[in-house]
Amino acid sequence: MTFLEQVGQAAIVRVEDAGALTMQFWSVLCKLPRVLPFVGARRRWRSAVAQMLAIGASALPMSGIMSLCTGFILALQSASELRRYGALDFVVDLVAIGFTRELGPLITALSVSGRSASAISAEIGTMVVTEEIDALQVMGLDPVEFTLAPKYLAALITLPCLTILSTLCGIFAGFLFLAFSMDMSLRIYLLAVAEAILLRDVAFMLIKSLVFATIIVHVGCLEGLRVRGGPEAVGHSTTAAVVKSTFLVILADLVATAIFYLMGWSSLR
Amino acid sequence: MMNVGAAKDGDAVISIRGVSMSYGARRVLDHVDLDVRRGEILVLLGGSGSGKTTLLKHVLGLGKPEAGSITIYGVDITRCPRSELVAVRRRIGVAFQAGALFNSLSVEENVALPLRELTRLADSTIKLVVWMKLMAVGLSEAGSLYPPELSGGMRKRAAVARAMALDPEILILDEPSAGLDPIVSAELDELILFLKRSFGVTILVVTHELESAFHIADRVAMLYQGQLIAVDRKEQFMRNEHPRIRQFLDRQPDAAPGVAAEEFIASYLRGSRI
Repeated sequence: MTFLEQVGQAAIVRVEDAGALTMQFWSVLCKLPRVLPFVGARRRWRSAVAQMLAIGASALPMSGIMSLCTGFILALQSASELRRYGALDFVVDLVAIGFTRELGPLITALSVSGRSASAISAEIGTMVVTEEIDALQVMGLDPVEFTLAPKYLAALITLPCLTILSTLCGIFAGFLFLAFSMDMSLRIYLLAVAEAILLRDVAFMLIKSLVFATIIVHVGCLEGLRVRGGPEAVGHSTTAAVVKSTFLVILADLVATAIFYLMGWSSLR
Repeated sequence: MMNVGAAKDGDAVISIRGVSMSYGARRVLDHVDLDVRRGEILVLLGGSGSGKTTLLKHVLGLGKPEAGSITIYGVDITRCPRSELVAVRRRIGVAFQAGALFNSLSVEENVALPLRELTRLADSTIKLVVWMKLMAVGLSEAGSLYPPELSGGMRKRAAVARAMALDPEILILDEPSAGLDPIVSAELDELILFLKRSFGVTILVVTHELESAFHIADRVAMLYQGQLIAVDRKEQFMRNEHPRIRQFLDRQPDAAPGVAAEEFIASYLRGSRI
Protein backbone atom coordinates (compact mmCIF):
# COMPACT_ATOMS: atom_id res chain seq x y z
CA MET A 1 0.00 0.00 0.00
CA THR A 2 1.32 3.42 -0.85
CA PHE A 3 1.29 6.22 1.68
CA LEU A 4 -1.62 7.89 -0.13
CA GLU A 5 -3.67 4.71 0.03
CA GLN A 6 -2.98 4.39 3.75
CA VAL A 7 -4.09 7.96 4.37
CA GLY A 8 -7.21 7.38 2.30
CA GLN A 9 -7.99 4.14 4.14
CA ALA A 10 -7.58 5.80 7.54
CA ALA A 11 -9.77 8.71 6.45
CA ILE A 12 -12.51 6.36 5.28
CA VAL A 13 -12.44 4.52 8.61
CA ARG A 14 -12.78 7.82 10.51
CA VAL A 15 -15.64 8.99 8.31
CA GLU A 16 -17.35 5.64 8.76
CA ASP A 17 -16.97 6.04 12.53
CA ALA A 18 -18.54 9.47 12.44
CA GLY A 19 -21.29 8.18 10.18
CA ALA A 20 -22.07 5.27 12.48
CA LEU A 21 -22.20 7.62 15.48
CA THR A 22 -24.62 9.94 13.72
CA MET A 23 -26.84 7.14 12.40
CA GLN A 24 -27.11 5.57 15.84
CA PHE A 25 -27.84 8.92 17.43
CA TRP A 26 -30.59 9.68 14.96
CA SER A 27 -32.26 6.30 15.29
CA VAL A 28 -32.21 6.59 19.08
CA LEU A 29 -33.67 10.11 18.93
CA CYS A 30 -36.55 8.78 16.83
CA LYS A 31 -37.25 6.08 19.43
CA LEU A 32 -36.85 8.27 22.52
CA PRO A 33 -40.54 9.20 22.78
CA ARG A 34 -41.40 5.50 23.12
CA VAL A 35 -39.52 5.43 26.41
CA LEU A 36 -41.18 8.47 27.99
CA PRO A 37 -43.76 7.92 30.70
CA PHE A 38 -47.46 8.19 29.74
CA VAL A 39 -46.88 8.62 25.98
CA GLY A 40 -44.48 5.70 25.51
CA ALA A 41 -44.63 2.01 26.35
CA ARG A 42 -44.97 1.24 30.02
CA ARG A 43 -42.27 -1.42 30.08
CA ARG A 44 -39.66 0.83 28.42
CA TRP A 45 -40.19 3.52 31.05
CA ARG A 46 -39.74 0.92 33.72
CA SER A 47 -36.44 -0.20 32.26
CA ALA A 48 -35.43 3.46 31.91
CA VAL A 49 -36.06 3.91 35.64
CA ALA A 50 -33.90 0.87 36.36
CA GLN A 51 -31.17 2.44 34.23
CA MET A 52 -31.53 5.74 36.08
CA LEU A 53 -30.87 3.94 39.34
CA ALA A 54 -27.81 2.25 37.84
CA ILE A 55 -26.37 5.27 36.04
CA GLY A 56 -27.48 8.02 38.38
CA ALA A 57 -28.43 7.07 41.90
CA SER A 58 -25.60 4.65 42.53
CA ALA A 59 -23.04 7.13 41.13
CA LEU A 60 -24.11 9.75 43.65
CA PRO A 61 -21.81 8.80 46.55
CA MET A 62 -18.78 8.62 44.30
CA SER A 63 -19.30 11.87 42.41
CA GLY A 64 -20.42 13.59 45.61
CA ILE A 65 -17.29 12.67 47.50
CA MET A 66 -15.08 13.46 44.51
CA SER A 67 -16.61 16.93 44.32
CA LEU A 68 -16.31 17.43 48.06
CA CYS A 69 -12.60 16.60 47.92
CA THR A 70 -11.98 18.69 44.82
CA GLY A 71 -13.82 21.63 46.35
CA PHE A 72 -11.69 21.41 49.45
CA ILE A 73 -8.50 21.11 47.41
CA LEU A 74 -9.48 24.09 45.28
CA ALA A 75 -10.16 26.17 48.40
CA LEU A 76 -6.88 25.13 50.01
CA GLN A 77 -4.77 25.81 46.94
CA SER A 78 -6.33 29.15 46.14
CA ALA A 79 -6.34 30.28 49.76
CA SER A 80 -2.58 29.94 50.09
CA GLU A 81 -2.13 32.35 47.17
CA LEU A 82 -5.02 34.70 47.85
CA ARG A 83 -4.05 35.10 51.49
CA ARG A 84 -0.87 36.89 50.40
CA TYR A 85 -3.02 39.61 48.86
CA GLY A 86 -5.42 39.63 51.78
CA ALA A 87 -8.20 38.49 49.50
CA LEU A 88 -9.24 35.33 51.29
CA ASP A 89 -12.94 36.06 50.74
CA PHE A 90 -12.39 35.61 47.00
CA VAL A 91 -12.10 31.91 47.72
CA VAL A 92 -15.91 31.93 47.81
CA ASP A 93 -16.15 33.31 44.29
CA LEU A 94 -13.50 30.98 42.99
CA VAL A 95 -15.09 27.85 44.39
CA ALA A 96 -18.66 28.86 43.54
CA ILE A 97 -18.02 29.98 39.98
CA GLY A 98 -15.42 27.31 39.33
CA PHE A 99 -17.78 24.57 40.37
CA THR A 100 -20.93 25.76 38.64
CA ARG A 101 -19.27 26.53 35.36
CA GLU A 102 -16.60 23.91 35.18
CA LEU A 103 -15.76 21.41 37.87
CA GLY A 104 -19.27 20.27 38.80
CA PRO A 105 -20.22 19.07 35.33
CA LEU A 106 -16.71 17.79 34.57
CA ILE A 107 -16.18 15.75 37.72
CA THR A 108 -19.66 14.26 37.47
CA ALA A 109 -19.12 13.39 33.83
CA LEU A 110 -15.76 11.81 34.55
CA SER A 111 -17.07 9.68 37.37
CA VAL A 112 -20.12 8.61 35.35
CA SER A 113 -17.98 7.88 32.32
CA GLY A 114 -15.75 5.66 34.43
CA ARG A 115 -18.68 3.83 35.98
CA SER A 116 -21.35 3.78 33.32
CA ALA A 117 -19.68 3.99 29.92
CA SER A 118 -17.89 0.77 30.78
CA ALA A 119 -21.02 -0.81 32.26
CA ILE A 120 -23.14 0.12 29.26
CA SER A 121 -20.65 -1.14 26.71
CA ALA A 122 -20.09 -4.34 28.68
CA GLU A 123 -23.82 -4.99 28.91
CA ILE A 124 -24.50 -4.33 25.25
CA GLY A 125 -21.32 -6.08 24.15
CA THR A 126 -22.36 -9.19 26.07
CA MET A 127 -25.76 -9.03 24.45
CA VAL A 128 -24.07 -8.97 21.04
CA VAL A 129 -21.78 -11.89 21.88
CA THR A 130 -24.57 -14.06 23.29
CA GLU A 131 -26.73 -13.22 20.25
CA GLU A 132 -29.36 -11.48 22.38
CA ILE A 133 -29.38 -8.52 19.99
CA ASP A 134 -29.93 -10.94 17.09
CA ALA A 135 -32.67 -12.63 19.08
CA LEU A 136 -34.43 -9.31 19.61
CA GLN A 137 -34.28 -8.53 15.92
CA VAL A 138 -35.53 -11.96 14.93
CA MET A 139 -38.41 -11.65 17.39
CA GLY A 140 -39.35 -8.43 15.66
CA LEU A 141 -38.35 -6.19 18.56
CA ASP A 142 -36.20 -3.18 17.82
CA PRO A 143 -32.90 -3.40 19.75
CA VAL A 144 -32.58 0.39 19.58
CA GLU A 145 -35.91 0.92 21.29
CA PHE A 146 -35.48 -2.01 23.60
CA THR A 147 -31.94 -1.54 24.93
CA LEU A 148 -30.45 1.76 23.76
CA ALA A 149 -33.27 4.27 24.18
CA PRO A 150 -33.88 3.63 27.92
CA LYS A 151 -30.17 4.17 28.59
CA TYR A 152 -30.12 7.43 26.66
CA LEU A 153 -33.14 8.75 28.49
CA ALA A 154 -31.76 7.67 31.84
CA ALA A 155 -28.42 9.39 31.21
CA LEU A 156 -30.06 12.57 29.91
CA ILE A 157 -32.24 12.83 33.01
CA THR A 158 -29.82 11.73 35.71
CA LEU A 159 -26.61 13.45 34.67
CA PRO A 160 -27.95 17.02 35.14
CA CYS A 161 -29.39 15.98 38.52
CA LEU A 162 -26.08 14.45 39.56
CA THR A 163 -24.26 17.55 38.34
CA ILE A 164 -26.41 19.83 40.48
CA LEU A 165 -25.87 17.66 43.54
CA SER A 166 -22.13 17.36 43.13
CA THR A 167 -21.81 21.10 42.46
CA LEU A 168 -23.58 21.66 45.77
CA CYS A 169 -21.12 19.26 47.39
CA GLY A 170 -18.17 21.17 45.94
CA ILE A 171 -19.53 24.50 47.08
CA PHE A 172 -20.21 23.05 50.51
CA ALA A 173 -16.56 21.96 50.70
CA GLY A 174 -15.59 25.58 50.14
CA PHE A 175 -17.75 26.50 53.12
CA LEU A 176 -16.09 23.85 55.29
CA PHE A 177 -12.70 25.33 54.55
CA LEU A 178 -13.76 28.92 55.22
CA ALA A 179 -15.63 27.95 58.38
CA PHE A 180 -12.44 26.44 59.77
CA SER A 181 -10.04 29.11 58.62
CA MET A 182 -12.14 32.29 58.91
CA ASP A 183 -15.04 31.22 61.16
CA MET A 184 -17.37 32.23 58.34
CA SER A 185 -21.01 31.44 59.07
CA LEU A 186 -23.09 29.39 56.63
CA ARG A 187 -25.49 32.29 56.09
CA ILE A 188 -22.80 34.70 55.00
CA TYR A 189 -21.18 32.06 52.84
CA LEU A 190 -24.40 31.27 51.02
CA LEU A 191 -25.11 34.95 50.47
CA ALA A 192 -21.67 35.38 48.98
CA VAL A 193 -22.21 32.35 46.76
CA ALA A 194 -25.55 33.67 45.57
CA GLU A 195 -23.86 36.96 44.80
CA ALA A 196 -21.14 35.25 42.79
CA ILE A 197 -23.21 32.92 40.62
CA LEU A 198 -25.41 34.12 37.80
CA LEU A 199 -28.36 32.26 36.36
CA ARG A 200 -26.51 31.84 33.08
CA ASP A 201 -23.72 30.00 34.90
CA VAL A 202 -26.29 27.49 36.05
CA ALA A 203 -27.73 27.22 32.54
CA PHE A 204 -24.19 26.73 31.24
CA MET A 205 -23.70 23.94 33.74
CA LEU A 206 -26.89 22.15 32.73
CA ILE A 207 -26.16 22.43 29.01
CA LYS A 208 -22.69 21.03 29.57
CA SER A 209 -24.03 18.13 31.59
CA LEU A 210 -26.53 17.27 28.85
CA VAL A 211 -23.73 17.25 26.27
CA PHE A 212 -21.58 15.04 28.50
CA ALA A 213 -24.48 12.66 29.14
CA THR A 214 -24.98 12.25 25.41
CA ILE A 215 -21.30 11.59 24.81
CA ILE A 216 -20.99 9.02 27.59
CA VAL A 217 -24.05 6.95 26.74
CA HIS A 218 -23.47 7.26 23.02
CA VAL A 219 -19.87 6.06 23.09
CA GLY A 220 -20.77 3.30 25.55
CA CYS A 221 -23.55 1.99 23.32
CA LEU A 222 -21.55 2.24 20.10
CA GLU A 223 -18.54 0.45 21.54
CA GLY A 224 -20.84 -2.25 22.87
CA LEU A 225 -22.57 -2.75 19.53
CA ARG A 226 -19.22 -2.96 17.78
CA VAL A 227 -18.14 -6.05 19.70
CA ARG A 228 -17.37 -8.91 17.34
CA GLY A 229 -16.19 -12.33 18.32
CA GLY A 230 -15.93 -13.79 21.78
CA PRO A 231 -16.15 -12.58 25.35
CA GLU A 232 -12.58 -11.18 25.30
CA ALA A 233 -13.77 -8.60 22.77
CA VAL A 234 -16.15 -7.28 25.45
CA GLY A 235 -13.15 -6.42 27.62
CA HIS A 236 -11.56 -4.42 24.82
CA SER A 237 -14.78 -2.57 24.15
CA THR A 238 -15.23 -1.53 27.79
CA THR A 239 -11.71 -0.14 27.88
CA ALA A 240 -12.26 1.67 24.61
CA ALA A 241 -15.57 3.04 25.88
CA VAL A 242 -14.04 4.54 29.03
CA VAL A 243 -11.01 5.97 27.26
CA LYS A 244 -12.97 7.44 24.36
CA SER A 245 -15.79 8.86 26.44
CA THR A 246 -13.39 10.46 28.94
CA PHE A 247 -11.36 11.96 26.13
CA LEU A 248 -14.42 13.23 24.29
CA VAL A 249 -15.93 14.69 27.47
CA ILE A 250 -12.85 16.81 28.07
CA LEU A 251 -12.66 17.80 24.41
CA ALA A 252 -16.32 18.81 24.41
CA ASP A 253 -15.78 20.73 27.64
CA LEU A 254 -13.00 22.70 25.98
CA VAL A 255 -15.12 23.44 22.91
CA ALA A 256 -18.17 24.45 24.96
CA THR A 257 -16.13 26.67 27.28
CA ALA A 258 -14.39 28.28 24.32
CA ILE A 259 -17.72 29.02 22.66
CA PHE A 260 -19.08 30.57 25.82
CA TYR A 261 -15.92 32.60 26.26
CA LEU A 262 -15.92 33.85 22.67
CA MET A 263 -19.59 34.78 22.89
CA GLY A 264 -18.63 36.95 25.87
CA TRP A 265 -21.01 35.16 28.22
CA SER A 266 -18.34 34.38 30.74
CA SER A 267 -16.62 37.74 30.81
CA LEU A 268 -16.22 39.60 34.07
CA ARG A 269 -19.43 41.13 35.26
CA MET B 1 -51.37 -21.45 13.82
CA MET B 2 -52.50 -22.48 10.34
CA ASN B 3 -52.59 -19.83 7.72
CA VAL B 4 -54.31 -19.36 4.42
CA GLY B 5 -52.15 -20.11 1.42
CA ALA B 6 -49.75 -22.26 3.39
CA ALA B 7 -47.59 -24.54 1.35
CA LYS B 8 -48.70 -28.15 0.98
CA ASP B 9 -46.68 -30.99 2.47
CA GLY B 10 -43.42 -31.43 0.63
CA ASP B 11 -43.39 -27.90 -0.78
CA ALA B 12 -40.43 -25.71 0.01
CA VAL B 13 -41.13 -23.16 2.73
CA ILE B 14 -37.60 -21.83 2.68
CA SER B 15 -35.80 -21.86 -0.63
CA ILE B 16 -32.26 -20.63 -0.89
CA ARG B 17 -31.05 -19.98 -4.42
CA GLY B 18 -27.48 -19.23 -5.44
CA VAL B 19 -26.58 -17.47 -2.22
CA SER B 20 -22.98 -16.23 -2.09
CA MET B 21 -21.19 -14.27 0.55
CA SER B 22 -17.60 -13.42 1.29
CA TYR B 23 -15.80 -11.58 4.04
CA GLY B 24 -12.91 -9.77 2.40
CA ALA B 25 -11.18 -12.25 0.13
CA ARG B 26 -12.56 -15.29 1.95
CA ARG B 27 -15.55 -16.93 0.27
CA VAL B 28 -17.88 -18.02 3.07
CA LEU B 29 -20.86 -19.10 0.99
CA ASP B 30 -20.55 -20.15 -2.64
CA HIS B 31 -23.75 -20.46 -4.68
CA VAL B 32 -25.72 -22.34 -2.07
CA ASP B 33 -29.03 -23.86 -3.21
CA LEU B 34 -31.18 -25.43 -0.53
CA ASP B 35 -34.87 -26.11 0.06
CA VAL B 36 -36.48 -26.70 3.40
CA ARG B 37 -39.76 -28.52 2.85
CA ARG B 38 -42.86 -28.11 4.91
CA GLY B 39 -43.11 -30.43 7.92
CA GLU B 40 -39.63 -31.92 7.66
CA ILE B 41 -36.60 -31.80 9.91
CA LEU B 42 -33.64 -30.72 7.82
CA VAL B 43 -30.26 -30.96 9.47
CA LEU B 44 -27.54 -28.73 8.13
CA LEU B 45 -24.18 -30.35 8.87
CA GLY B 46 -20.80 -28.77 8.54
CA GLY B 47 -17.52 -28.39 10.33
CA SER B 48 -16.31 -25.24 12.00
CA GLY B 49 -15.86 -22.46 9.47
CA SER B 50 -17.97 -24.22 6.86
CA GLY B 51 -20.30 -21.24 6.63
CA LYS B 52 -23.32 -22.77 8.33
CA THR B 53 -23.70 -19.99 10.87
CA THR B 54 -23.42 -17.40 8.11
CA LEU B 55 -26.09 -19.19 6.09
CA LEU B 56 -28.34 -19.25 9.15
CA LYS B 57 -27.87 -15.52 9.73
CA HIS B 58 -28.88 -14.86 6.15
CA VAL B 59 -31.98 -17.03 6.44
CA LEU B 60 -32.99 -14.92 9.45
CA GLY B 61 -32.44 -11.74 7.47
CA LEU B 62 -29.61 -10.60 9.75
CA GLY B 63 -27.30 -10.13 6.81
CA LYS B 64 -27.65 -9.48 3.12
CA PRO B 65 -25.97 -11.96 0.73
CA GLU B 66 -23.85 -10.64 -2.11
CA ALA B 67 -25.78 -12.69 -4.63
CA GLY B 68 -28.76 -14.99 -4.74
CA SER B 69 -32.13 -14.99 -3.05
CA ILE B 70 -33.73 -16.49 0.03
CA THR B 71 -37.46 -17.00 -0.27
CA ILE B 72 -39.51 -17.80 2.82
CA TYR B 73 -43.23 -18.35 2.31
CA GLY B 74 -42.98 -16.70 -1.09
CA VAL B 75 -41.26 -13.56 0.20
CA ASP B 76 -37.72 -12.88 -0.97
CA ILE B 77 -36.27 -11.63 2.30
CA THR B 78 -33.10 -10.35 0.66
CA ARG B 79 -35.04 -7.73 -1.26
CA CYS B 80 -38.35 -7.16 0.51
CA PRO B 81 -39.12 -4.03 2.56
CA ARG B 82 -38.57 -4.17 6.33
CA SER B 83 -42.22 -4.54 7.19
CA GLU B 84 -42.48 -7.75 5.14
CA LEU B 85 -39.30 -9.10 6.71
CA VAL B 86 -40.80 -8.51 10.16
CA ALA B 87 -43.99 -10.29 9.08
CA VAL B 88 -42.00 -13.30 7.83
CA ARG B 89 -39.95 -13.38 11.02
CA ARG B 90 -43.15 -13.63 13.04
CA ARG B 91 -43.65 -17.07 11.46
CA ILE B 92 -40.16 -18.24 12.45
CA GLY B 93 -38.97 -19.18 15.92
CA VAL B 94 -35.25 -19.27 16.60
CA ALA B 95 -33.32 -20.88 19.42
CA PHE B 96 -29.80 -19.50 19.35
CA GLN B 97 -26.70 -21.45 20.20
CA ALA B 98 -26.15 -20.06 23.70
CA GLY B 99 -29.88 -19.58 24.22
CA ALA B 100 -29.73 -15.78 23.95
CA LEU B 101 -32.06 -15.56 26.95
CA PHE B 102 -32.26 -12.13 28.55
CA ASN B 103 -30.43 -12.37 31.84
CA SER B 104 -32.47 -9.66 33.52
CA LEU B 105 -35.70 -11.58 32.95
CA SER B 106 -36.79 -14.87 34.51
CA VAL B 107 -37.47 -17.88 32.30
CA GLU B 108 -41.21 -17.17 32.37
CA GLU B 109 -40.66 -13.53 31.46
CA ASN B 110 -38.32 -14.56 28.67
CA VAL B 111 -40.97 -16.78 27.13
CA ALA B 112 -43.63 -14.15 27.75
CA LEU B 113 -41.59 -11.38 26.13
CA PRO B 114 -42.63 -11.94 22.49
CA LEU B 115 -46.23 -12.46 23.60
CA ARG B 116 -46.26 -9.26 25.65
CA GLU B 117 -44.55 -7.16 23.01
CA LEU B 118 -46.10 -8.45 19.82
CA THR B 119 -49.62 -9.56 20.72
CA ARG B 120 -52.53 -7.99 22.53
CA LEU B 121 -53.23 -11.00 24.71
CA ALA B 122 -54.41 -10.41 28.27
CA ASP B 123 -51.94 -11.10 31.06
CA SER B 124 -53.84 -14.16 32.24
CA THR B 125 -53.79 -15.64 28.73
CA ILE B 126 -50.08 -14.96 28.41
CA LYS B 127 -49.49 -16.74 31.71
CA LEU B 128 -51.36 -19.77 30.44
CA VAL B 129 -49.54 -19.84 27.11
CA VAL B 130 -46.18 -19.51 28.86
CA TRP B 131 -47.06 -22.36 31.18
CA MET B 132 -48.04 -24.54 28.22
CA LYS B 133 -44.82 -23.81 26.37
CA LEU B 134 -42.68 -24.50 29.43
CA MET B 135 -44.67 -27.69 30.00
CA ALA B 136 -43.96 -28.79 26.43
CA VAL B 137 -40.20 -28.44 26.92
CA GLY B 138 -40.31 -29.92 30.43
CA LEU B 139 -39.47 -26.75 32.32
CA SER B 140 -42.77 -26.02 34.06
CA GLU B 141 -41.03 -26.17 37.44
CA ALA B 142 -38.23 -23.77 36.50
CA GLY B 143 -40.26 -20.79 35.32
CA SER B 144 -39.24 -18.46 38.12
CA LEU B 145 -35.50 -19.12 37.76
CA TYR B 146 -33.16 -16.68 36.03
CA PRO B 147 -31.01 -17.75 33.05
CA PRO B 148 -27.68 -17.79 34.96
CA GLU B 149 -29.22 -20.29 37.40
CA LEU B 150 -30.05 -22.76 34.64
CA SER B 151 -27.96 -25.69 33.50
CA GLY B 152 -26.87 -25.88 29.85
CA GLY B 153 -29.67 -28.24 28.87
CA MET B 154 -32.33 -26.22 30.67
CA ARG B 155 -31.13 -23.07 28.95
CA LYS B 156 -31.53 -24.67 25.53
CA ARG B 157 -34.99 -25.90 26.47
CA ALA B 158 -35.95 -22.44 27.65
CA ALA B 159 -34.68 -21.02 24.38
CA VAL B 160 -36.82 -23.53 22.48
CA ALA B 161 -39.83 -22.58 24.61
CA ARG B 162 -39.31 -18.91 23.79
CA ALA B 163 -38.85 -19.72 20.11
CA MET B 164 -42.19 -21.59 20.23
CA ALA B 165 -44.00 -18.80 22.06
CA LEU B 166 -45.73 -17.31 19.04
CA ASP B 167 -46.56 -20.74 17.54
CA PRO B 168 -44.13 -20.42 14.64
CA GLU B 169 -44.45 -22.51 11.51
CA ILE B 170 -40.70 -22.81 11.16
CA LEU B 171 -38.38 -23.53 14.05
CA ILE B 172 -34.67 -22.90 13.60
CA LEU B 173 -32.24 -24.39 16.09
CA ASP B 174 -28.59 -23.41 16.13
CA GLU B 175 -26.37 -26.15 17.59
CA PRO B 176 -29.00 -27.53 19.97
CA SER B 177 -26.74 -30.24 21.38
CA ALA B 178 -23.41 -28.42 21.46
CA GLY B 179 -21.80 -28.55 24.87
CA LEU B 180 -24.36 -30.92 26.40
CA ASP B 181 -23.72 -34.33 27.87
CA PRO B 182 -25.06 -37.33 25.89
CA ILE B 183 -28.13 -37.84 28.08
CA VAL B 184 -29.28 -34.24 27.99
CA SER B 185 -28.47 -34.10 24.29
CA ALA B 186 -30.63 -37.18 23.69
CA GLU B 187 -33.46 -35.59 25.67
CA LEU B 188 -33.23 -32.53 23.48
CA ASP B 189 -33.40 -34.72 20.36
CA GLU B 190 -36.59 -36.29 21.71
CA LEU B 191 -37.96 -32.81 22.37
CA ILE B 192 -37.29 -31.81 18.76
CA LEU B 193 -39.03 -34.93 17.45
CA PHE B 194 -41.91 -34.30 19.85
CA LEU B 195 -42.33 -30.75 18.58
CA LYS B 196 -42.41 -31.97 15.01
CA ARG B 197 -44.95 -34.71 15.79
CA SER B 198 -47.31 -32.69 17.92
CA PHE B 199 -47.14 -29.20 16.39
CA GLY B 200 -46.21 -30.08 12.80
CA VAL B 201 -43.56 -27.39 12.65
CA THR B 202 -40.89 -27.36 9.99
CA ILE B 203 -37.53 -27.58 11.72
CA LEU B 204 -34.13 -26.51 10.47
CA VAL B 205 -31.30 -27.67 12.70
CA VAL B 206 -27.71 -26.50 12.32
CA THR B 207 -25.23 -28.80 14.01
CA HIS B 208 -22.03 -30.77 13.76
CA GLU B 209 -23.07 -33.54 16.15
CA LEU B 210 -23.45 -36.60 13.92
CA GLU B 211 -25.38 -38.90 16.21
CA SER B 212 -28.08 -36.44 17.08
CA ALA B 213 -28.22 -35.25 13.46
CA PHE B 214 -28.96 -38.72 12.10
CA HIS B 215 -31.40 -39.46 14.90
CA ILE B 216 -33.68 -36.52 14.24
CA ALA B 217 -33.17 -35.73 10.56
CA ASP B 218 -35.51 -36.44 7.68
CA ARG B 219 -32.98 -34.96 5.30
CA VAL B 220 -29.37 -33.98 5.80
CA ALA B 221 -27.47 -31.24 4.01
CA MET B 222 -23.75 -30.77 4.26
CA LEU B 223 -21.79 -27.57 3.84
CA TYR B 224 -18.08 -27.67 3.17
CA GLN B 225 -16.04 -24.50 2.64
CA GLY B 226 -19.13 -22.56 1.72
CA GLN B 227 -20.38 -25.07 -0.79
CA LEU B 228 -23.30 -27.40 -0.35
CA ILE B 229 -21.79 -30.76 -1.26
CA ALA B 230 -24.79 -32.96 -0.52
CA VAL B 231 -28.49 -32.78 0.28
CA ASP B 232 -30.18 -36.11 0.70
CA ARG B 233 -32.50 -38.26 2.77
CA LYS B 234 -30.45 -39.47 5.66
CA GLU B 235 -30.29 -43.13 4.48
CA GLN B 236 -28.80 -42.10 1.13
CA PHE B 237 -26.62 -39.49 2.77
CA MET B 238 -24.92 -42.08 4.95
CA ARG B 239 -23.97 -44.03 1.82
CA ASN B 240 -22.62 -40.95 0.02
CA GLU B 241 -19.10 -41.53 -1.31
CA HIS B 242 -17.95 -37.91 -1.44
CA PRO B 243 -14.50 -37.94 0.22
CA ARG B 244 -15.32 -34.99 2.49
CA ILE B 245 -18.55 -36.57 3.66
CA ARG B 246 -16.78 -39.87 4.31
CA GLN B 247 -14.10 -38.02 6.23
CA PHE B 248 -16.73 -36.22 8.28
CA LEU B 249 -18.81 -39.34 8.96
CA ASP B 250 -15.79 -41.52 9.75
CA ARG B 251 -14.24 -38.78 11.90
CA GLN B 252 -10.89 -38.72 10.05
CA PRO B 253 -8.50 -35.83 10.75
CA ASP B 254 -7.43 -33.53 7.90
CA ALA B 255 -3.72 -34.13 8.24
CA ALA B 256 -1.94 -35.37 11.31
CA PRO B 257 0.16 -32.50 12.70
CA GLY B 258 2.99 -34.91 13.56
CA VAL B 259 3.36 -36.01 9.93
CA ALA B 260 3.58 -32.44 8.67
CA ALA B 261 6.28 -31.64 11.20
CA GLU B 262 8.31 -34.69 10.21
CA GLU B 263 8.08 -33.77 6.54
CA PHE B 264 9.20 -30.25 7.29
CA ILE B 265 12.20 -31.43 9.29
CA ALA B 266 13.12 -33.94 6.61
CA SER B 267 13.06 -31.32 3.86
CA TYR B 268 15.01 -28.93 6.05
CA LEU B 269 17.73 -31.50 6.64
CA ARG B 270 17.85 -32.34 2.94
CA GLY B 271 18.26 -28.66 2.16
CA SER B 272 20.96 -28.08 4.75
CA ARG B 273 23.10 -30.94 3.44
CA ILE B 274 23.50 -29.35 0.03
